[in-house]
Amino acid sequence: MNISVKEWFKSGSPWVWMNAGAVAVSMIMVVGLLGLIAVRGLSHFWPADIVQGNYTQGGEQRVMIGEMVESAEVLTKQLIEAGIDLPETSEYSTRHLMKIGNRDVNGTDFTWALEYYFKDQTRPEMLFAAERHEWGNFYGYLRSVKEAGQEVGRYDDYDKSDAYLALWAELDKRIERVLDIHDDILDIEKGEIGAINYELERLRLKERGLQLDNVTDQRPYDEINQRRKELDQQYEGLQQRLLDLYTQINRDSLTAEVSTGEVVEIQLSKIVRVFRPNDMGVGQKILHYFAKLWEFVSDDPREANTEGGIFPAIFGTVMMVILMSILVTPFGVVAAVYLREYAKQGFITRLIRIAVNNLAGVPSIVYGVFGLGFFVYFLGGNIDDLFFPEAKPSPTFGTPGLMWASLTLALLTVPVVIVATEEGLSRIPRAVREGSLALGATKFETLIKVVLPMASPAMMTGVILAIARAAGEVAPLMLVGVVKLAPSLPLDGNYPFIHLDQKFMHLGFHIYDVGFQSPNVEAARPLVYATALLLVAVIALLNLSAIAIRNHLREKYKALEM
Amino acid sequence: MTMEAKTHAIDISAMQRQNQTLRLEDETIALTVRDLELFYGEKRALHGVNMDIPKNRVTAFIGPSGCGKSTLLRCFNRMNDLVDSCSINGQINLYGDNIYERGIDVADLRRRVGMVFQKPNPFPKSIYENVAYGLRIQGITKKRVIDETVEWALKSAALWDEVKDRLHESALGMSGGQQQRLVIARTIAVKPEVLLLDEPASALDPISTLKIEELIHELKKDFTIVIVTHNMQQAARVSDYTAFMYMGDLIEFGVTDTLFTNPEKKQTEDYITGRYG
Repeated sequence: MNISVKEWFKSGSPWVWMNAGAVAVSMIMVVGLLGLIAVRGLSHFWPADIVQGNYTQGGEQRVMIGEMVESAEVLTKQLIEAGIDLPETSEYSTRHLMKIGNRDVNGTDFTWALEYYFKDQTRPEMLFAAERHEWGNFYGYLRSVKEAGQEVGRYDDYDKSDAYLALWAELDKRIERVLDIHDDILDIEKGEIGAINYELERLRLKERGLQLDNVTDQRPYDEINQRRKELDQQYEGLQQRLLDLYTQINRDSLTAEVSTGEVVEIQLSKIVRVFRPNDMGVGQKILHYFAKLWEFVSDDPREANTEGGIFPAIFGTVMMVILMSILVTPFGVVAAVYLREYAKQGFITRLIRIAVNNLAGVPSIVYGVFGLGFFVYFLGGNIDDLFFPEAKPSPTFGTPGLMWASLTLALLTVPVVIVATEEGLSRIPRAVREGSLALGATKFETLIKVVLPMASPAMMTGVILAIARAAGEVAPLMLVGVVKLAPSLPLDGNYPFIHLDQKFMHLGFHIYDVGFQSPNVEAARPLVYATALLLVAVIALLNLSAIAIRNHLREKYKALEM
Repeated sequence: MTMEAKTHAIDISAMQRQNQTLRLEDETIALTVRDLELFYGEKRALHGVNMDIPKNRVTAFIGPSGCGKSTLLRCFNRMNDLVDSCSINGQINLYGDNIYERGIDVADLRRRVGMVFQKPNPFPKSIYENVAYGLRIQGITKKRVIDETVEWALKSAALWDEVKDRLHESALGMSGGQQQRLVIARTIAVKPEVLLLDEPASALDPISTLKIEELIHELKKDFTIVIVTHNMQQAARVSDYTAFMYMGDLIEFGVTDTLFTNPEKKQTEDYITGRYG
């Protein structure tokens, strides 16, 4: 088995090892990346224990209650130099990032706590956490439940007992009721009142349109006013129901003791869910975890995007990518067919091909600027002048929106589709084209009936590449239609159902917004990872469906064995 | 295999006996070629060819590779138009109409002059749709008409019995020989007047070749057939008339039997006896 280094090199095995190594490194990097964002993102939804302890620093003692979000080892020397009184016994000291919640009481959500000062750490079972619509999480001991200001139950101890559990059950029941009412209110506000407002706005535009057209006949105006009266009446009715619901939802409240010993009263209408993580079994925690995960993918965001879900962003991303695919495919295919099949091959076509390929290398923000200047201001402005003069001076299409974002991305990805389609067209055997022509088909018929179907898998490859590029793009979108928070989805029950002129939310921009523009950085950080993971998952899903379509087409138009 | 060989031998003698009574002067002429010159860029590929191709007969073009026989064949349905650098002088008349005249509908010409290529080139569609393709191109939409024509074409191409139970399966799953017969069926489905075969059996095994040859024999009742072949035995077996071409020139054209047994030109004799080519 003794072989010289020279022979070993000659055998080619170092080459094989090098290749295998490169593949392994790439795999590790990809898996590591996904693993990191998955672990960081998904662990956020796990109900963490609430720790209580005495924190004594600088002679001042206080009770600290909160979740340990993260721990770090810091050089003791560094801390001493920063003016903190610490013994120099160990080189490193442990420091915890504590989520103490109760922003309304403490003024801040998060604080750093040194392990050295944090004594008597316990995890009392009776501590509860409440997620709220505003002011972040609340931590404390439940003291009483009130109905219309009257106490219906009270508990003053710190231990688990039947009396406490009865009170807790009462609270649970009332929160359930409040959440139901909350859903009803949302339905009315977003659904029915939204629809009425939408129709009122359309009536206003119709009336304005009639005025602009100098219609003097009084009948259409009367019809509009008639309808408007009906809508106003409906609105009044709904408003009354809303008022009722609001009184009902504000009926109950709870009082709780916080870390300072102070007792705070909270309206139940402000609460999303209550739970006692220290008293939960693994099964309950798993249930809680999936409930939170579901909330994340299916709900609207709350509190400047740092809480709640990201459903509108998922929806916006998918919608934009689908629209982009619908726009880019015919455009790219037609261009490729002309370049490959009809144009005389020569200097000019070569020049165009080079230009198309280089177009794929233009930085995406440039497309964003172009989209804003050309699509939004020029095209959109002219469309408004021509078709929506009644809405002026407020723009309809002359402002960033879903349509322009999709078009801009279609422009960004059209080179990919052109190149892939051309490749596919050039691979169709000449024999098949001649076979069709020899049967008396014209060139156009041959293209439509034989060549294009056979090239369709290649077109899908182009679309897959386009999706991969477009779905992850953020920079140009910021200029042409993506916003931090969109009040409604671009697809709803109001005619014409798809609102191409609306602004929308996007996962990529959401990551940027939550990560860099958030007022509450510590609360938002895990969401950055979770959103990133979801973005990857959405892109993977979009790509997989496109790949499935391609494989189906490939099977159908399997190239001839020639 | 021995059975096949025997029938084969009998067929040939039968065809040859029949050939002996043929005379070009007695035939109706389908295609006339007059002073046909063809250039690929600067290169002249055909040097003034003159010939008459008789109706309802099989005419074979033989000659060494690059002699221009396929090029000539492709002139008959203007397939050479697809080559950018190709230019043509002279005339080809199909029943008296010059097919190179300005304003002629090339698609219509190709419907009248069908062509089968060297390698089978079915479309990636079902067997039925392959045969129906030409009809659909012509705008025929009646299902009954299409059904009947497809059946007739497949029967004429001796393929019906093999595929009648799987008409709607992909044509790409057939064997090479079946594919080539399918292509022939597809071509005759549009009822062309002339059928051009460009080495139709060169990519096939001997049994499939035999089937194609028998098919050609059958089809000449309805069609005028022009076949290009490398294989002299094949030319002798299937054709009534044979043209020998060499370096872009038509050297000799005549009744197959005469050309093979008693060639007029020295070049023809050399080629047939295998001295070159």
